[in-house]
Amino acid sequence: MKLNLYPPQQEENIYIRRQAQAWQRSGLITEEQLDAINGHADPQLRQTNPFFRILFFVFTMLCAGAVVGLFVWLLDFKDANFIAVMLICFGAAFYIAAEYLAGKYLFYRHGVEEALAVMGMVLFCAGCGILLSENHLTLTQLRIVVPALLAITACWIYLRFGFLYAAAISIVALGVIPFQFNFSPAAERIMLFSVLCVIFVFSLLADKPDLEDFRKNRYAKIQACLLAAMYLTVNLEISGFIGLIIRDTHVFHLNAQLFPPSIYWPSYVLTFLIPAAAIYWGIKSRKRIIINVGLVMACATLATNKSYLGWTRYAWDPAILGIILVGLCLLITRWLNSGADQRRFGFTARDILQPEEGGITPADVAAALTPGVIDAQQPPAGAQEQYFEGGASGGGGVEGKF
Amino acid sequence: MNVAKLLRKLRYEKKLDSGQVEFLLNLQERRIFSVHRELRFFLYIGILLIIAGAGLTVKQYFVDLGDVAIISALTLCFAAAFIYCFAKGNPYEGGEVASPNIAFDYILFFGCAFYSMDIAYIETQYHLLGDLWENYLLISVALFFFLAYRFDNRLVLSMALSTLAAWFGFTLSAHRFYFENYYRLYAIAYSLIVLCCGVFLYRIDIKKHFLDIYLNFAAHFLCIALLSGVAEYKILSLYFPALLLACAALAFYSVQVRKFLYMLYAVIYSYIGISIVIVDQIHRQTFLLFTYFIVTSMLVIGLIFKLTRRFKEQR
Repeated sequence: MKLNLYPPQQEENIYIRRQAQAWQRSGLITEEQLDAINGHADPQLRQTNPFFRILFFVFTMLCAGAVVGLFVWLLDFKDANFIAVMLICFGAAFYIAAEYLAGKYLFYRHGVEEALAVMGMVLFCAGCGILLSENHLTLTQLRIVVPALLAITACWIYLRFGFLYAAAISIVALGVIPFQFNFSPAAERIMLFSVLCVIFVFSLLADKPDLEDFRKNRYAKIQACLLAAMYLTVNLEISGFIGLIIRDTHVFHLNAQLFPPSIYWPSYVLTFLIPAAAIYWGIKSRKRIIINVGLVMACATLATNKSYLGWTRYAWDPAILGIILVGLCLLITRWLNSGADQRRFGFTARDILQPEEGGITPADVAAALTPGVIDAQQPPAGAQEQYFEGGASGGGGVEGKF
Repeated sequence: MNVAKLLRKLRYEKKLDSGQVEFLLNLQERRIFSVHRELRFFLYIGILLIIAGAGLTVKQYFVDLGDVAIISALTLCFAAAFIYCFAKGNPYEGGEVASPNIAFDYILFFGCAFYSMDIAYIETQYHLLGDLWENYLLISVALFFFLAYRFDNRLVLSMALSTLAAWFGFTLSAHRFYFENYYRLYAIAYSLIVLCCGVFLYRIDIKKHFLDIYLNFAAHFLCIALLSGVAEYKILSLYFPALLLACAALAFYSVQVRKFLYMLYAVIYSYIGISIVIVDQIHRQTFLLFTYFIVTSMLVIGLIFKLTRRFKEQR
């Protein structure tokens, strides 16, 4: 059964055009050659640039939200059941409008149809949630049914429109469900990990070698998200780190040390195995996003290793991790550059494809914030004198002050 | 039809030559796989971690380490980084200059960050400039601008602009984050100075590709300052027409140079500003409030549709 709204060739043509634009930007083909490629790959879909897409999305959401708000206010319903039915009706109407725009006017990642589909999904789930809560469903049951409904509707939107964030919403909603039963935290983690593994296996089965390029690309992104979710599930110290940030280490989920050793140590082993497997698989299948996610997970493993082993953490630990990263990057660059034609096994450190210019990059923002962070890290003036007060420096600390 | 088939077809039609098709097929089928961006990303993360680790170590162990050790270590680090950059860097050019190697930009950034750390430590511990301590920021700004232009480094230029903002009184600490009248005027002054600098350097053909960084800093500081003024005085001040003017200028520039990021800024900031004023006027009238949001959001959608159609026709 064909669920996708757009014919595969149209989406493939969009993928071809994107690749061709990247080649032209990087000086690999000329403007005329780009036009020739575009001439052969006309997607016949209505698209827009990413910034207008954001604007369309935001203002369609605003408009749809205001329409619903106005109706609720005008009709002045007191009965929750009526409100729920109205939300469901609005949800269905918005969804139909999204389908209509995509089918009739060929809107593709245009923002408007996305906002309508997302709004439709949210209103439908909210309406169902209210309706079920009014009909004697307990809070626990509701906490299971609503995420399940959200997971199903988001999955449907992904299958119909191909929005990757809808797939991500579906996975997150599914991930919430195991935490709603009264299982032990360890059992919750195992259940969540199992669910993610099952979805991952399905995605692997669906990812056949003869698929279109755009679909392979899409599956790679979903697999990367799933790998990251699996890693976050098994790495108990990351949630412990969150506990430290919000200063609540008493909650079982947020304190890794409270997990039994039968869970704690296998999870420690998995924090190494998952990144290693991801990097190996990414390199073997040449999936860039899988390699990147694997490397980020490997960094997270190195960062949480000391906490896992119960070793003392020092202020200079980030610097050591940084030195290791820089050293590895320089070694890999040198190794790749010393190969024939600056290549080894097909991998090269040369800059071949230029990224799209977006005005300002996250790297620029991070650099701009650096002086502020450095300023905030300075020890307070006169802190050295205060240090010797109260015996903090040793020396007996017999009195409050020297 | 997929990429590989299309490339072969274009070779057959003689629109692409064999060498080109071979290389593009190698790229497409990942027989050539560039890890350049990944290496740059992890180098940058590594450098940021080193800076964070060094900062934390100084903050936590400054008593054990002692001033001499800290100052000499930090000085040694930034001096080594700067010496390396001057020794290995390509000569200055008005246009874009490629980095001599993958790590070069980050070594310069590392040097600048350690310089900041060193100066900030000396100043907080010894108060060499006394009440004029904030002027050390100006020295840093001058140095960062010089290095950014000498070595064509966007990261250091971003540091220079944010250090200049710090000199104007904007820091990351929470108590300085209020947009009171005092800071609002300083933010406007800052953004106008940054804008003038950026446009002037662009006009005289010096590192024209840096203009976007200047514009981003100027646009956000100016629009946020004006928005805060609109939020405080509503329609009864010059802030509202100034915000509309700034957003109109941003939108005009966006259309002229086809950089739609600025259109995004213009629409968002102007919509928030106008909404603040209108919502204030129709206070507690729920029907009008909802109607306002429905009508205006549809208007914005219609306007952007018209704009996209115009661009498509022109293309």
